[in-house]
Amino acid sequence: TPRKDIVPHISVRRTPCKTPSKILEHARARLHVSAVPDSLPCREHEFADIYTFVKSKILDGTGGCMYISGVPGTGKTATVTEVMSFLRKEVDEDKDFPEFTLVEMNGMKLTEPHQAFVQILKALTGQKATAEHSSQLLDKYFTSAAGRKQPIVLLVDELDLLWTRKQGVLYSIFDWPSRPKARLIVLAIANTMDLPERIMMNRISSRLGLTRMTFQPYTFKQLQSIVQSRLEGLQAFEPDAIQLAARKVAAVSGDARRALDICRRATELAETAQPTGKGKGPLVGMKHVDRALAEMFSSPKIVAMRQASRQEQIFLRAIATEFKMSGLEEAPFEKVLIQHISICRLEGLHPPVVSEVVAVCRRLASCRLILLESSTNELQQRIRLNVSQDDVMYALRDHGE
Amino acid sequence: MPKRRRESEFGLSTLEKVQQTLRRRVCRIEIPPKEIIEENLKEQRQHLVDLISRCAIRGEGNSALVTGPHGSGKTMLVSSVLSEIEANPRVSKNLLIVRLNGLLQTDDKIAIEEITRQLRLDNVVGDKVFGSFAENLAFLLEALKSGSDSAQSILFVLEEFDLFAYHKNQTLLYNLFDICQSAQTPIAVVGITRRLDVVELLEKRVKSRFSHRHIHVFNSLTFPAYKEACQRMLTLPSAVGDAKFVKRWNQSIETLCSNSTVHDVLKKAHQLDKSICGLQSLLLLPICRVSDDHPEIQPVDLLESSKHLAADSKAAMLHGISVLQLSLVIGMKHLTELNDGDPFNFEMVYNEYLKFVQRKAHVVQCFEKPVVLKAFEHLVALEIVKAVDGHGSRTQKEYRAMSLLVTPAQLMDVLNTHPGCPSELKHWASNPLPS
Repeated sequence: TPRKDIVPHISVRRTPCKTPSKILEHARARLHVSAVPDSLPCREHEFADIYTFVKSKILDGTGGCMYISGVPGTGKTATVTEVMSFLRKEVDEDKDFPEFTLVEMNGMKLTEPHQAFVQILKALTGQKATAEHSSQLLDKYFTSAAGRKQPIVLLVDELDLLWTRKQGVLYSIFDWPSRPKARLIVLAIANTMDLPERIMMNRISSRLGLTRMTFQPYTFKQLQSIVQSRLEGLQAFEPDAIQLAARKVAAVSGDARRALDICRRATELAETAQPTGKGKGPLVGMKHVDRALAEMFSSPKIVAMRQASRQEQIFLRAIATEFKMSGLEEAPFEKVLIQHISICRLEGLHPPVVSEVVAVCRRLASCRLILLESSTNELQQRIRLNVSQDDVMYALRDHGE
Repeated sequence: MPKRRRESEFGLSTLEKVQQTLRRRVCRIEIPPKEIIEENLKEQRQHLVDLISRCAIRGEGNSALVTGPHGSGKTMLVSSVLSEIEANPRVSKNLLIVRLNGLLQTDDKIAIEEITRQLRLDNVVGDKVFGSFAENLAFLLEALKSGSDSAQSILFVLEEFDLFAYHKNQTLLYNLFDICQSAQTPIAVVGITRRLDVVELLEKRVKSRFSHRHIHVFNSLTFPAYKEACQRMLTLPSAVGDAKFVKRWNQSIETLCSNSTVHDVLKKAHQLDKSICGLQSLLLLPICRVSDDHPEIQPVDLLESSKHLAADSKAAMLHGISVLQLSLVIGMKHLTELNDGDPFNFEMVYNEYLKFVQRKAHVVQCFEKPVVLKAFEHLVALEIVKAVDGHGSRTQKEYRAMSLLVTPAQLMDVLNTHPGCPSELKHWASNPLPS
């Protein structure tokens, strides 16, 4: 078909992207998650492990699997890509180093697990076929190895999404490397450490083997050095500000993306705080990082309760009172309604009619301050709080108009 | 004579113009001017403008979420920002905008087709998108990967963002956020949602790729500001026409807003719902009332409109039912109170009804059982009584467990105002029969 040759593209922009000119703009461009540095700091050990594994397999001309796990944002994909570009460089420099083919795949970018076959086949041979047909072709491709000398490195990201009930896709991927002529090296990346034991059948996890690697979440020192290495040669941050961001992120998740996002937001806040931006001395201070942290980590629920209308606040109080009286964490609408009306009487307000209270309840449920059981029966509908009772009391304390 | 007629025609057309202007405001067709939004949402607006223009000018990928309760102006904020962005040639010629809505794009397949259509990629001919779902996704990702910083920036606006999180595997969100955070076509994703806990819906890896920028919009109007907003919404700009008329109208609005009845009505509306949306629906009826015979908004109009909005739907329904049905409802109320909220069935209600009728036979006519059953079924159809969940179709309808969906207070209110309700019935409602 003629469509096969089309290289899709987005229309070209009229004016090129502006390059950063001020210090803070430079800092922001470098702090962007997409600006991956040439060598990742604090992952040298993992880099060496993966590098020696892949290199030895390529040099031996054998195949093998490696399973790499770790929580999101710990640099798994970045490290593996770095290893690949390093090997690629070695191929260019060293004549004796054998050429290899790299096939990259991401489970999240497939609509369905069996599409993996289609993508691998397309990357290897440029052929386009249905999932079933590609699976057969690939089987043949890896058993015969006719007229093919290069080893293949297959990089599978988000492995857990290739799981199916029969696990056919996973089985094939880990079975190919064990074929004598395949010369296939599989690097599988996923989040959970015990994925092979948890979801895979025995015959798959045994094929996966024991070459495993776990990426630990970054500690605060590592996060700090990551941010510092990106800002090398730029006097944009106070060192304490970086440390604050690093410590906070390390305490919560150890996700490098979060630390970079916070620092990037802090540069924006610093820029709006002093629009002149003379570029002298450290510009982003503790207070900017602190505000960025508050923006990203704090829960808006207490503010939402404070900003709710009077009747909405009374309804929340009615729920809390009803819980206290019954000792349960759940109450039917009917009971809360009675509490609501008595609180209104106590406060000297005209009690609203049932339809209005229902509307108030629905509004609170739509922003998930309370949880409603899905039922068409209004009066018996069960209500739960989505915030703790103490938070309700704290938010509504001394807040009557 | 002809002169007077022309004048009256002129007056009419002015009023029509007035109605048109005000209705456009109240029905949310028009985005309010920048200054009014900035009064409360200056910071949030600036954040959005910066974010989008940085994406357009510098090619910086970003993602943000606009959250806030209903009617707090999330969509208005975003569309106001977009209209400003579009007016700026430096930004608008480098930016493509893709709008998606979680209520329309109910799964990733439809969403991706919609994106390719709005971006006018090469597999689009006319309004049709070719290829399977997998091909479309691969095509879209390929397209977004191919243009690095030479391609136009793309802004994705995802309304009802929380619904996208229910898609299978959250593939679309993962890919959008992933492109935001990698060196491909610069894109910005702005999600609009009312759920405060939307981030908890996201999968771990999707959450990690989201830049955690939250823009919160709340209904933060205090009562004086609310009242002022009401006055501003009714005040006419001088462009409507006849300067004298506009002046007179604006004066009348000023006196209207200082009226004590209006004050009370607005106070009540503000206590119930602080959002501008609530105010708009309150003002819609008075605005529609404006006519030749009634050229100004009176406090009574607002009072009436507020009564309309505060009408209890169940009570209104109870007003329309017959005396027999009313006595059944009273019987049910007694049964519910007697059994401490446990469900009842038709036979129990019929028994209660018979007890009442036998004692007061001279007041209320005694109906046959089939007639009473029919009346009961009518109540079921009106959803005044409802079968208890899980006690569905298998049992015979006389013995099906039912519960009453009317509170005793609602019933008593209705009995006091129901036309032609016998006093015996009222008496029975407040005093259950001794068994």
